[in-house]
Amino acid sequence: MLLEVQNLSKRFGGLQAVNNLNFQVKKGEILGLIGPNGAGKTTVFNLITGVYRPDGGVIKFREEDIAGLKPFTICTKGICRTFQIAQPFREMTSLKNVMIGAFSRTSYTEEAKNKAEEILSYVGLAEKKEILAKELTTIDQRRLEIARALATDPKLLLLDETMAGLNPKECDEAVSLIKKIRDGGITIIVVEHVMRAIMSLSERIIVLDYGTKIAEGEPEEIRSNENVIEAYLGEEYRRAIRK
Amino acid sequence: MKILVKTLVTSRGYVPLATLIIFLILPLFLPTYFLHIMITIFFFAFVSQAWNIIGGYAGQLSLGNAAFLGLGAYGSVLLTYYYNIPPWIGGILIGGAVAIVLSLITGLACFRLRGPYFAISTLAIGEVMRLLFLNQRKITFGAEGVTVPYKGNSLLYFQFLSKVPYYYIALALMILSMYITWRIEKSKLGHYLVAINQNQDAAEAIGVNSIRAKQIALSTSAFLTAIGGTFYAQYIYFIDPDFVFGLGLSIEFAMIAIVGGVGTVMGPIIGSFLLRPAMEITNAFLGATYMGVHLIVYGCLLIAVVMLKPEGLIGWVGGLYQRLLKLLSKKDD
Repeated sequence: MLLEVQNLSKRFGGLQAVNNLNFQVKKGEILGLIGPNGAGKTTVFNLITGVYRPDGGVIKFREEDIAGLKPFTICTKGICRTFQIAQPFREMTSLKNVMIGAFSRTSYTEEAKNKAEEILSYVGLAEKKEILAKELTTIDQRRLEIARALATDPKLLLLDETMAGLNPKECDEAVSLIKKIRDGGITIIVVEHVMRAIMSLSERIIVLDYGTKIAEGEPEEIRSNENVIEAYLGEEYRRAIRK
Repeated sequence: MKILVKTLVTSRGYVPLATLIIFLILPLFLPTYFLHIMITIFFFAFVSQAWNIIGGYAGQLSLGNAAFLGLGAYGSVLLTYYYNIPPWIGGILIGGAVAIVLSLITGLACFRLRGPYFAISTLAIGEVMRLLFLNQRKITFGAEGVTVPYKGNSLLYFQFLSKVPYYYIALALMILSMYITWRIEKSKLGHYLVAINQNQDAAEAIGVNSIRAKQIALSTSAFLTAIGGTFYAQYIYFIDPDFVFGLGLSIEFAMIAIVGGVGTVMGPIIGSFLLRPAMEITNAFLGATYMGVHLIVYGCLLIAVVMLKPEGLIGWVGGLYQRLLKLLSKKDD
């Protein structure tokens, strides 16, 4: 097991954001994390990456408990994440953005630059390396976000709603990029609202509702799971059909 | 070596070199008063550059840098006064070390704060130091201030009867600070500082230990500023807590860098070359008219620059400089 989450809990005032959550991530898989708005998906990411300290529970990454460590320590251990709303260094070029990530593994500017250039062409941003991050389009900012995370040499990559706001064609591009990254040997957890994308990406899906896991299984099982349809898909589907 | 020669025959190489040579021979021609102005320009460029490392690159608006200057100044003067320790050791090494210790305390207390809260707490630290030196009268002589013990013309005791040695030392300090800043800018640390400045959470998520990076920046800034304090004390021969630990001085460091352009190697230099002469000229022509008129004019100048060029004069001056280089290289052909 690459990652084992045991009895993870987090409370914000009166709201139990994550409640006794248990799940595991196998090496080399793409795990989908879905659930209605406010189900606690992003909180789970924030707990794993050290943005929040858990109230209870264990987060074991490669047999080591990382719960409560600082974000940059967790990053150097090999877990990196992207943000739901892209958070580029706006006044820096794409190249410099990715170099910041690369610096987590080297102290030499030249080395960081070479690695950043390599990764930019890997995600398809080679021609835009001298453009300021704030001037990139939405999809390119997402690409940059992924590139920056990849530059830290993660073993586990957490993608938070990478496809929000993308058109169907861009979504397909993103799906193939994510698959390419997985094929390169990086394990991935995806939080996503775009159902079509997550169903085609994930080998396994976990469904959260009110901070609790209500279902787990392959995409086919999730689609037909009574709890899930009731809590989440049902409502969404009904609304979609009505439209 | 070959590359060096190649660079020197292009305008990119010989213009800075010519500027340096002009600065080196300038004391031969300048009257004392103008020499003094040049020294203050170099001095403020130096301490403002030190501020620029933490305030500009890392974007942590420190309003307490005078605390470090004061430590360098008092370390220099008091240790000579009580123990005959030369300022090079008393001010720069010991004063600098104490400044680094203070920067560590500042970092521990303030780096968890962001934005205006950081600025306010550094301001408080500067004020605490000022009051401390003001009230420990038995040791520091309080508000009376202290005069540098007279040692005649002595390199060992950092005292010269002529202004010329001070001129060269100030010039060397300014160039040193430019070199250090340039090295930081190209390094991992420099990249980290800019990233922290733009988005600290995103930086931490990709492996940046922001507190450590900011601490290194602040300690470097503190040490350099303490050297500035030693220089100031040895040049002016007199220090008092209200000036060397004063909020006015802390603001001046920031102001010079902001007017010139923060987060750039040339910004504080440009800022100092504009603001210091402006201060001197308004003082010389208007200082004797009505109380404070020169400060009003100086203030208006600041407002004008900040409103018209909010990113600093660096863009405008840089453009002019590039045009000059182009003009010169055309003549080469």
